[in-house]
Amino acid sequence: MDEASMHPLSPGPKATPLDPGASPELTQAILARTSGDPCHRLQSLACDFVDGTLEAGQASLVRLHLGHCGACATLVEALASLQTDLPALAQVDPGPWFTQAVLRATRHQPIRQGADLRDLWWRLMHRPRIALEAAYLGAAAGLMGVYLPLPATQVPALVQPLGDSALRVAGQVALAERRTSASLQRSLRSIVSPRSAPMPRGSLWQRLSSWTRTRLQAFRKAPAPPLSPEAQKPPSANP
Amino acid sequence: MEFPQLLDLVRRGDELAWEAFVRRFQSRVFGLAYHYTAHAEDARDLAQEVFIRIYQHLAAIPGEAGCLPWIIRITRNACLDHLRRRKARPPLWDLPANELFDLRSTDRSPEEALLDAVRKTMVHRALQELSDLNREIILLKEIQGLGLEEIAAILDVPLGTVKSRSHRARLELAQKLVAVGMGA
Repeated sequence: MDEASMHPLSPGPKATPLDPGASPELTQAILARTSGDPCHRLQSLACDFVDGTLEAGQASLVRLHLGHCGACATLVEALASLQTDLPALAQVDPGPWFTQAVLRATRHQPIRQGADLRDLWWRLMHRPRIALEAAYLGAAAGLMGVYLPLPATQVPALVQPLGDSALRVAGQVALAERRTSASLQRSLRSIVSPRSAPMPRGSLWQRLSSWTRTRLQAFRKAPAPPLSPEAQKPPSANP
Repeated sequence: MEFPQLLDLVRRGDELAWEAFVRRFQSRVFGLAYHYTAHAEDARDLAQEVFIRIYQHLAAIPGEAGCLPWIIRITRNACLDHLRRRKARPPLWDLPANELFDLRSTDRSPEEALLDAVRKTMVHRALQELSDLNREIILLKEIQGLGLEEIAAILDVPLGTVKSRSHRARLELAQKLVAVGMGA
């Protein structure tokens, strides 16, 4: 780009000073010592001026400058000509045989009436919320695994008339605990046994099983409280 | 035939409607491809490829308002893929002045047609000298007439960038034309 042609120091041939007595050289000299070259300012307004969107006062100032600056006038004329030149470039004839070539090429092409499953899957997986939704689903599955009720066990009713003796009550509680642990062990064994493949290490099920196993072993090792002969008697209906 | 009706027939696979659709958009698709690649033969191949892609996804053609931006987006993607494959900038001065902007015209004198063709070629060449973003903004806004929001969506840049770059790109193009003596 020739900078000298864009920002000339001398006015163009169309210069028509407002004051007939004012010389263009004097104007240039004053501008050079005060605000500087106004062509930069004009360039920032040129597009709006050509589009007709510039405010009237500024448009008149631009017109005044263009009357004295041949380079800016040429630039604005080029901008104005682009308004007609550029839209004319939108459509270019590709040649007489182009349409036939396209029709021939598309004759045996399959038409996809809907989106491919692969496209749908890709779009589904690339949604921004997919990670959040996956986390929700994982959390819900985990909670269901933790709070899922265990299979019904034959736990004897603990609340029954035990009589007056505290020893008899303690004996009944120990007996009930032993029966409960035995039935729980049986039910867990029936759940675990059908699974042939071992669960992956650290899974929720494995942790639950090991926790239960530990508790059962602790139950077995714990000494049962001694039962008094009275406690072994069946409770009387009317103590 | 109204365009929405034509689109409906095209979506249903009507061959005549498809031909009318191709004739309606081929110059625009080819023109855009030519301005991207600066090579007439490549542009013809790309335009054909674009229409094949459109034909394979007839059901996905949007309505009247979104049809042209959709086609322009497909064309742009095809051109960018092509340029990436070439891994080089397209040649700038490899075409004679009258190769693309031919002189066939019924309402102008041969001299006027020649001047017009030369002028178009010079503008096209000046376009190739702009930066990629500036050239694309000129192509999409000034040449194809898309709105600023559509351009921002296609180019995936902020709307403010498109606005500010739009004026700068036009000014830069005008300066290049002035530099080669095409001021007016």
